[in-house]
Amino acid sequence: MMHILLVEDDPRVAAYLCKGLEEEGHVVDLREDGRSGLLQASTERYDIILLDRMLPHVDGLKILQTLRATGDATPVLILSALGDVDERVKGLRAGGDDYLAKPVAISELLARVEALGRRGTLTEEVAELRVGALVVDRLGHAVTIEGRPVDLTAREYQILELLARHAGRVVTRSMLLEHVWNYHFDPQTNVIDQHLSRLRQKLALVSPVPLVHTVRGAGYMLRPGE
Amino acid sequence: MKLLKSFSFRLAATYALLFSVSLALVLGTYQLVSITLPRNAVKAAIEAEAETFAAGYRGDARALARRLEARAGAPSQLAGFHLLTDPAGHVVSTNLPSWPAFAGRRWYSLEADIYRDGDEDDHEALVLDRGLADGSRLMIGRDVEELDDLEEAIGSAALYLIAATLLLATAGALLMNWAIGRRLDAVSGTARRVIGGDLAGRVPINGSGDDFDRLAVTLNLMLDRVEAGVEAVRTASDSVAHELRTPLSRLQASLRKAAPGDGADASDLYDAIDEADRLQSLFDAVLRISRIESGRHEAHFADVNLAALIADAVDLYGPAAEDKGVSLAQSTGDAPIVRGDRDLLFQLVANLLDNAIKFTPTGGTIRLGITHQGVGVRLIVSDSGHGVPAEAMERLGERFFRGAAASGAPGVGLGLSLVRAIVRLHDASIVFRDARPGLEVGITFQPRGAAGSAKVRDARSGHL
Repeated sequence: MMHILLVEDDPRVAAYLCKGLEEEGHVVDLREDGRSGLLQASTERYDIILLDRMLPHVDGLKILQTLRATGDATPVLILSALGDVDERVKGLRAGGDDYLAKPVAISELLARVEALGRRGTLTEEVAELRVGALVVDRLGHAVTIEGRPVDLTAREYQILELLARHAGRVVTRSMLLEHVWNYHFDPQTNVIDQHLSRLRQKLALVSPVPLVHTVRGAGYMLRPGE
Repeated sequence: MKLLKSFSFRLAATYALLFSVSLALVLGTYQLVSITLPRNAVKAAIEAEAETFAAGYRGDARALARRLEARAGAPSQLAGFHLLTDPAGHVVSTNLPSWPAFAGRRWYSLEADIYRDGDEDDHEALVLDRGLADGSRLMIGRDVEELDDLEEAIGSAALYLIAATLLLATAGALLMNWAIGRRLDAVSGTARRVIGGDLAGRVPINGSGDDFDRLAVTLNLMLDRVEAGVEAVRTASDSVAHELRTPLSRLQASLRKAAPGDGADASDLYDAIDEADRLQSLFDAVLRISRIESGRHEAHFADVNLAALIADAVDLYGPAAEDKGVSLAQSTGDAPIVRGDRDLLFQLVANLLDNAIKFTPTGGTIRLGITHQGVGVRLIVSDSGHGVPAEAMERLGERFFRGAAASGAPGVGLGLSLVRAIVRLHDASIVFRDARPGLEVGITFQPRGAAGSAKVRDARSGHL
């Protein structure tokens, strides 16, 4: 459960996002313009702030800059109808932690909200990630299942590590492209899927149960086998 | 009124006026040189003669008369005339048929017809009238008939000449007005046709290669360009509509199947979502291409290592190629650096690679290479697929254009459009070549420092 501030002026979009987030058990406060959004953000503590880029009175990026200038490090996810790569870069430069283009798919939003919210608890320096019998050794870049090593390429390791960091939660294809390949681009086909199927094959050589699951319409999830 | 407003008519009228003025100048000069100056010379000569006679007069009228008669009898080009009266007004000697009463005027033009052998010779005498010291009256003159005739002739000729000039000039003005007006009407008629919506309208060319023909050729080139542009927009919007129909109808079908009560299945809903996603990415792609093309995309230019970029792309697409049984070969040489936007360049390589994998049959090879092209850097992606027919080659990169071989493959025909837009943004050039078999795409980047800088400025100034 996370305490989320949503600043969004379009009531239909706001209702859609609130419903999706609340169904996942999050508590959402909604503000519909920039001024009251900024006021709310600076008076209460939130786990995460979802900020529309274009807002009445005070622009979304202004709110973000103001928050960062006052030393507020609450994770901010920027929502914008300006879905271009350079807009994303702008948002991230202004101090945003992530960026989503509208129209927003709820599954993508939930996955990113989870990832951002957990950042506070899961330190980046954790040396070892455990998901059931699977152990990711982040120092040695090695993966074992029940003590038996899994032979992965560097890229496959990065994919698995990202999945392990968000174990039990959805990791979308665009999150994988951004974090593993570090390019912001639009693949014309689902090239990521072939990488995942190779990773699965390699894990299956060692693990008796499937670990990487496809979440239809959303992405992938790493889950300990039953 | 309309005629007076016509440019060509005013031009011709002005020309006619200038021509008349110059004609008047010529006539005036002729009059001065051949009439006025000779007449003044005659006057000076007469004055000198009269002075001589007056100075030699000692009151002896008879002696003077004799000298005057001798002068009249002397052969001369200009016959001499004279009249001498005594102080009482009685004529002492004369060869003038008539003369005016003494009126104090100095110069007279007198009829001085000479009868000789019964024939009458017309003569005009220019005569100086002066008194002598004792009150006698002396008139001395010379025959100026020839000058007079000439003056008269010039006068009447000038009248006819000027009248004829004005007549011809007016006719010329009307003709010019008509001829130029006819050509201009053709141009404005075509313009009106085009305004009226008929983009196929062209200015007629009469083949003479004159100024109007050159103008018509230029205008027609412009109209060709406009027509092609409008046609491209029309084709593109038709294609968008066409490309939307299929996913929309699949979306409809999935939603109908997923509608409650009718054996509803969650997977149909996911199918519907997938179709909606496809629709969205189609729009995203179209918008992205126009953003880049119109310079509204804020590109972040930096030094990009093409070899590393290609290695990343090969890494990303490797499994996809492997699944299809296509091998990827890269020969990138020493770290070739170009100036560009890293994400966009990756998009470019990804799109080319994606296409190449799509159109290369199992067992084929795709080569990615970098060569140095003069001072620039050339990126080459070639496949061993079926290639592209020559007639389709130049349409590659047109929005929604898909070759015959692509009809069965996934995609909507925007990948190369995006590549072209990125190439333009980087001031690079793209060449498609038949690799026999397969297609070779070559993209040449200008050397660092030459490329990019101008585009960055464009992109920034064009940004929201």
